[in-house]
Amino acid sequence: MVKVLKSTILNAPIDAVWDVLRDFNGHDRWHPAVADSEIERGRASDIVGCIRKFHLQDGSLLREQLMTLSDIDAAYSYCLLDTPVPLFNYVSHVRLFPVTDGDRTFWQWEGNFSTPAGEETQLQNMVGTEIYEAGFEAIRSHMGVAA
Amino acid sequence: MARVYVSSVITAPAAKVWERVRDFNGLPRWHPRIADSQIENGEPSDKVGCIRNFRLQNGDQIREQLLALSDYDTFCTYAILESPMPIENYVATLRLTPVSDGDRCFVEWSAEFDCSPEVETDVSNGIATNVFQGGFDALKRHFGG
Repeated sequence: MVKVLKSTILNAPIDAVWDVLRDFNGHDRWHPAVADSEIERGRASDIVGCIRKFHLQDGSLLREQLMTLSDIDAAYSYCLLDTPVPLFNYVSHVRLFPVTDGDRTFWQWEGNFSTPAGEETQLQNMVGTEIYEAGFEAIRSHMGVAA
Repeated sequence: MARVYVSSVITAPAAKVWERVRDFNGLPRWHPRIADSQIENGEPSDKVGCIRNFRLQNGDQIREQLLALSDYDTFCTYAILESPMPIENYVATLRLTPVSDGDRCFVEWSAEFDCSPEVETDVSNGIATNVFQGGFDALKRHFGG
């Protein structure tokens, strides 16, 4: 099992960040890797169990299912159902915490998965850098907040 | 049940900050409001269940018991046994979490307790400002953040 844990501090109040992150179908508006996204069967994106079907910029198609959505904890979890990348049993957790000192936000993004033997490090770096850390930067620029 | 939550960011790795705050008897070394402290019955300060008996700069005396200590999750939880404050069932947790982006850590200090509604706001604000944020400000000064 490979674990990736990335975190950052955003210079924005937690409510503003959660407004953006809460929409399970909203990642094509801020994450640079995502080209387009839709929720299957026309469901609302905050129905736990809904599935988002999306294309990456390179054309590959992925499907992910929302497993947890918590407005009280500003958190959600999802798993990967279909992907051309060999990430198996991929489960990810996103959680925001308020930084009361300065009205900022601590953002934690975690992923756990298995891979074919020998590909652990490469896929760990890919998820950590191209998905999670790139997502942090993308939210900063989407929300217009300085690092 | 009243709840107080204060969080901040310290510009130092969680392990370095933990070295400074881990000692349950170490408050006088890093928290400006604490004058002196000792662990009762000569027990080690990382023995879960030990009691620290300490005085604030204003002379108030407080006894607190260590309920949990984790070097893995870098947190400690403790309860107030005796204090001049009009509160009961006070349990607090101080927790450090690494921030992977930069050499800094996210620090949280929270408490839950019972008190009469008339004094709840004053007591909560006092704990949040003087104890929790005051402690974080001292850590920020020490670590330069």
